[in-house]
Amino acid sequence: MRDLVDIWVGIQTWLFESLVAPLLYGLGLMEWFEPAFNAVEFVMLGAVQIAIIAFGMRLIEKRWPLERHPDERLVGVDRVYTVLNKLGVVPLLVFAVTYPITNQIEYAVRAWGLMVPPLDQMLPGLEDSALASFLFYFVLYDFAAYWVHRAQHKLGWWWALHSLHHSQRQVTVWSDDRNHILDNFLVTLSLVVFAQFVGVQPEDYVLILMVGRLIESFSHANIDLGFGRIGRWLVVSPRFHRLHHALGTAQDRRIYDHNFAPVFPIWDILFGTAIYDGKYRPTGVDDPRIDADNGRGWLGQQVTVLGRFLRAVVPTLRRAPAQPGLRPPAE
Amino acid sequence: MRNLAFALIAMILGTAAARADSVLVLNSEDASYSILSRSHRAEMKRVPIGREPHHLIATPDGSEVLLASTVTNELTALDTRTGERRRVVRNVVDPYQLGFSPDGKWFVTAANRLDHIDIYQADGLKLARRIFMDGTPSHLAFDAESKTVFVTLQETGRVVAFDLASQTLKWTTEVGSAPAGLIMPDADRLIVALTGDDRIIVVDPKNGAIKGALKTGKAAHNFFPRGDGRYWFLSNRVEGTISLLDTQDMKVVATIKVPGGPDDMAITADGKEMWVTQRFLRRVAVVDLEKMKMVASVPVGKSPHGIMIFKDDWLIGGSPLRAASTAGERR
Repeated sequence: MRDLVDIWVGIQTWLFESLVAPLLYGLGLMEWFEPAFNAVEFVMLGAVQIAIIAFGMRLIEKRWPLERHPDERLVGVDRVYTVLNKLGVVPLLVFAVTYPITNQIEYAVRAWGLMVPPLDQMLPGLEDSALASFLFYFVLYDFAAYWVHRAQHKLGWWWALHSLHHSQRQVTVWSDDRNHILDNFLVTLSLVVFAQFVGVQPEDYVLILMVGRLIESFSHANIDLGFGRIGRWLVVSPRFHRLHHALGTAQDRRIYDHNFAPVFPIWDILFGTAIYDGKYRPTGVDDPRIDADNGRGWLGQQVTVLGRFLRAVVPTLRRAPAQPGLRPPAE
Repeated sequence: MRNLAFALIAMILGTAAARADSVLVLNSEDASYSILSRSHRAEMKRVPIGREPHHLIATPDGSEVLLASTVTNELTALDTRTGERRRVVRNVVDPYQLGFSPDGKWFVTAANRLDHIDIYQADGLKLARRIFMDGTPSHLAFDAESKTVFVTLQETGRVVAFDLASQTLKWTTEVGSAPAGLIMPDADRLIVALTGDDRIIVVDPKNGAIKGALKTGKAAHNFFPRGDGRYWFLSNRVEGTISLLDTQDMKVVATIKVPGGPDDMAITADGKEMWVTQRFLRRVAVVDLEKMKMVASVPVGKSPHGIMIFKDDWLIGGSPLRAASTAGERR
């Protein structure tokens, strides 16, 4: 195990010392020395995740597809999202905005002495086991992520952003990162503040992101897989999460307001939002304005969804879209 | 012949006694500290502690060592003879760097994240004054008379001097990019390492006037005394070296290669070895001070930072957590 850590850290150090550190040094940004070293690890983990998705999950999906996808271009844009996210481009932008805010919050909490003492050092059995400590914080983090996800659906302005994630008609293992940057920012802000408050360790936080995001990528797979009688209660499966992306029906227009849990379905079971019926359902959102995201590229989606968000936030912008047939004739 | 035999036995016993040293390392991103055995050149034990422990200091009477956990606002006191945990001092806000004045009357902490300097009366740790100071307070040093504390402000490139008795500002001066460690080799000179540069700066401790500079290596960071008052070691974090400085003639007399962002240092009681934290590699380098060469590198936790060596063996009869490593020899 230590050999693997040595190889991993060796690559990270080599990348940092040969590329990043000289750049920071040359640009006079040495106060970012330590965070930049961690950022290198983030990008390396992202590259590993992309490899696992592209050469592992994608092969499973192609071998046992649940539905045939008529337009590969619709999936292509999700690949762009995944690469931009996993290789750190979007997270860097999000970090630049969230860092001063989370720092201020952290300052206030720490200066007022409101921190929660390290739970892993207080609860029996956690202090001596790295695995138990990791699982404990993973469950806590997932609990917070469940409620953030519910807020994304409940609040109209947040749904205006998050609906981009749901607009995909051809959900695949690439779809997990399909989110608006502003949505990324809000989710990151919420979860980082939570993680700081409950005292998730940096090392655990990196692992939580790595393992959690891989499970979430797989739960978007275009396969009909349920994890069995017991497994389906333990970890979110592609079958369980597919319902969360299901197109609304006449009986249940917002069926996607179920199965919110990112990793552990226990939250949906406990809070009454779980559906385990296993029926096949097509995916997407039954709203032509949201469905129109499918024809757009990354930038087009970012711009139009920002407009959707602004219209949701600012009432005066909520005008009916112009219809060609109603336009007055030209003089 | 008999005398020779006695001499041999005494030498062997002497060596064994000298090698009984215990090395304590704070793993800043693992929320733990490692206890290493000098003789085994291996980690013997890892103990959880607060969050983000960075630095440590021995109490003026030498009976305790205080481990500062920044995020949990705590100082954990260990017995320097046995390594046993004695007590925890709470509500010391963001204790990053910390130090006692030479007369033992004052205790000062630099709150790196929360931007303030706290001056305490060391007896009972009563806060005399909290001074908010923009610019990321980093390292600190005292004058020999215990009248003044000097603090580097990493982000604003300044050094500030405070009168300890009145806790008022004496002077502030701009020294260059990302100043870090600082020392006073004599009453007339304050030497400051510039992590954003490749040099150290000489400052007049009376008024902050800059008197000179010396090139050492990229990202000059932290000092450690060789023990003779004249020679000091200096870590250069981007260069990956330790410079041996002659502070009297102001020149670099030797350079030792230590990869992995070398940071804090400590020298064994017999003066034969220096142990250096390699922040990025999650290791501690062992430098043979006779050969002036790194001879081993011992695996520890993530981002090892503060380090101290104790002459007593804290773990009699213990066994290493993993095999000793000499990876450093291959580098």
